[in-house]
Amino acid sequence: MSHNCSVIHNDYNSENTYTWCTNCGNYGIHGALKSALVEECIKPTDVVLCFDIGCNGNGSDKIGGYKAHTLHGRVIPFAMGAALANPNIEIIASAGDGATLGEGINHFIHAIRNDINLTFILHNNSNYGLTIGQASPTTPLGIEMNGTPGLVEIQPINVAHLALSLNPSFYARGFSGNPKQLTKLIRLGIHHKGFSLIEVLQDCPTFNEATPHNWYLDRIYDIGTLTDYNINNIEMAREATGDLSEHIATGLLYKSGLDTRYKEEIASLDHDHIDISDLLKEFI
Amino acid sequence: MSKFRRYVIKVGGESGQGINSVGEILSKALKTAGYKVFAYREYPSLIKGGVASFQVEFSDLPINSPSANCDILVCISRYSINEYLTSINPGGKLIHSLPKMHFDKDEQKFIDENQIIVEYVSADEIAIMEGGNKIMANVVLIGLIWKLLGEDYADIEDSVLQVFGKKEKFIEGNKKSLSAGFQYKSESLLIDKFDFTKDQAWSDSYVLSGSQAFALGTLSAGVKAYYSYPMTPSSPVLTYLASVAHRKGILVKQVEDEISAVQMAMGSMFMGARAMTGTSGGGFDLMTETVSNAGIAEIPLVILLAQRHGAATGLPTWTGSSDLNLALYAGHGEFPRCVVAVSDPISAYQRIQEAFNIAEKYQLPVIVMTDKEIAESLFNIDKLPSPAPIKRGLVDREGLSSLDSGSRYEITGSGLSQRWLPGQPGPVYNANSDEHDVDGDSTESAEITKQMVEKRARKLKTMADEIPEPEVYGVAQGADISFIGWGSIKTNMVDLLQLINNDKNSFTANYLHYEYLWPFKSEALYQFVNDAKKVVVIENNATGQLGGLISREAHLAISGKLLKYDGRPFFIEELVQFVEDELGKEIII
Repeated sequence: MSHNCSVIHNDYNSENTYTWCTNCGNYGIHGALKSALVEECIKPTDVVLCFDIGCNGNGSDKIGGYKAHTLHGRVIPFAMGAALANPNIEIIASAGDGATLGEGINHFIHAIRNDINLTFILHNNSNYGLTIGQASPTTPLGIEMNGTPGLVEIQPINVAHLALSLNPSFYARGFSGNPKQLTKLIRLGIHHKGFSLIEVLQDCPTFNEATPHNWYLDRIYDIGTLTDYNINNIEMAREATGDLSEHIATGLLYKSGLDTRYKEEIASLDHDHIDISDLLKEFI
Repeated sequence: MSKFRRYVIKVGGESGQGINSVGEILSKALKTAGYKVFAYREYPSLIKGGVASFQVEFSDLPINSPSANCDILVCISRYSINEYLTSINPGGKLIHSLPKMHFDKDEQKFIDENQIIVEYVSADEIAIMEGGNKIMANVVLIGLIWKLLGEDYADIEDSVLQVFGKKEKFIEGNKKSLSAGFQYKSESLLIDKFDFTKDQAWSDSYVLSGSQAFALGTLSAGVKAYYSYPMTPSSPVLTYLASVAHRKGILVKQVEDEISAVQMAMGSMFMGARAMTGTSGGGFDLMTETVSNAGIAEIPLVILLAQRHGAATGLPTWTGSSDLNLALYAGHGEFPRCVVAVSDPISAYQRIQEAFNIAEKYQLPVIVMTDKEIAESLFNIDKLPSPAPIKRGLVDREGLSSLDSGSRYEITGSGLSQRWLPGQPGPVYNANSDEHDVDGDSTESAEITKQMVEKRARKLKTMADEIPEPEVYGVAQGADISFIGWGSIKTNMVDLLQLINNDKNSFTANYLHYEYLWPFKSEALYQFVNDAKKVVVIENNATGQLGGLISREAHLAISGKLLKYDGRPFFIEELVQFVEDELGKEIII
């Protein structure tokens, strides 16, 4: 943090009061996001926070900065278009596990391939919270959820394994109950030039009874505590992220050694006609 | 020969046989020779085989729309003879390159009755003999066609080299094949005579498709990014922009689906970059939720909707104009929008520039419609108009300091609020797909909701003042028959009116053309209908969607309808026939 920086935490606080459940993981994620922006000394006018629909999206007007609250499943392409348009502005997109892995999984897959420079925070609470607790693509087997007769019987998606199969440039995993680590991961994501995927294991005290706060606390560990872990080794990342039930790895788990693959960007405010006189000659 | 003061050459073959290049070469050479040209394509939705044709028509009068029939049919596949033999005008010619060609009884009867001259040309052998390869058989045939038109050899050679000359090793073979075709000796094939006056000044005119004109318009509009997923007949815009992207420093990106394409376009527009997307009906279906998103969040958005025939996959490579209702009603909820349909290359070039100005000023989605007929036909125009001024509708730098956070969606009489961009040092706001207050923050207040719905609705009325009334073509008043249409129908109508409204005929016709379809303008319509003796709404769809719009918005039930919905455009022959039947009089050409 620069000593000359005039951005303070309160710049990112809103007049609006929160509407999340008591102990919702979103408080921790929002706090970490604000801390990361302040520590990076990014002014609210120099960031666009893009929100999907759902509980996390209901935070779109409870934080400073320019914001876009888009459609369900569509925040990723919106944010990609925004990022390409003005590379001087920090683009941070947030979406839940339903939006990312259900409604908009096509966009998620191609965003990893495209590797456009933005930070994406995947709020993974393993259910559809705002529509009151239906199963999501990450709900574990054998759980009782609204809208599912009996128990959930289809395989959950392992976000890390899906992402790693696509050769991502940045994959980190945090926990909503550990804002200090999450702040660090978001800052790393902001610094990374490319699509920075940050999966957040998120408490949902109201609808996710299977994996409450203490369940995570008993199982998560920081990958940084392993001395022989190499964040550039995708095989190690696969192995480290496979276990979602006993020993759950968090931290920056994989970073490609390559530069970002997608470099084309357009400037936003320069708006003259593009000269077509040379092109017209080809039609004579 | 064609009755309509045009000479028509149709080249038929299979997809993949190089028909398009033949058509492009002939079109450019005829234009260079001083004729007005028009070219019309038919092709199947497959890569190899089927029946494809490229029809080139020329005259000393402007041509904007196709004929059904031709004067010379050149076929390089049997199936194309099956398909097109009966489209040859009486006394016309069939030239083919099929050594084992055998006509069946009906075909022979047609040939005899219509005195069709049939000539087999061993184009493959000639090309190979001249040191070329089999694909140069097309060049042999081009040489022969050119000879039969009695035109100057230099023009066709230039055109062949312009299209094919890029590869050094083929130049010699192409030149020799062309020359051999031009010198081909035949006793039955005579040089055609027509009394068209050539205009030497016309040789510098442009031959281009509606899609190319549209793409040029996007550049003149300052569009810096085009996001798309391929779908006929919008793909030529993607292809053309991709081909010039590096030279012009624009971003052209093919993405995973139309949902992503339109969201990326909206994301870039939100940041202040002019960006757009294009698709056809099926892809547009996928974009509709985003049309609604742009509507409520008041983010400028421009979408090209290039129509083709049919529901679902329909006829992917054939034309139709059955997506007007889709454009008018796409997206859930109620919000203002603008719908405009282009009608020819100049219109395409201009309307897309206006679309961006409208989208940015009124902060809403603009749907720009075209169809396969405009998108893929080749038109011949003198020049394009100068680029239109770019109007961003943004707060200027000095104005930023007087804004507060409620300025962004401020309730105003015009419905328009001030817009500024992320990154600018103004108050921050939320572009919210939820109903929101003046600063964009979510609200569920009944009072604010009502105010916001009404504010956005007022933009439609404000915008309507700027939208032009539909335009009358042909005689201003007193026409014996009056048509109303939209989109590519204008190309058919200007050609028809040219034949009717002259000294030779004792009756007149006119046409009311809708370019802007929403907000709907009715003043000129009332006048037109009041003055008309017989009104016909003409459309390339089965239900008469413009007729329906007129009925709903102007409360006029127009019973006269001419609807075509078989994937084909209207041809000049059938329009002439229609008018003659309706009026009981012959059109004298």
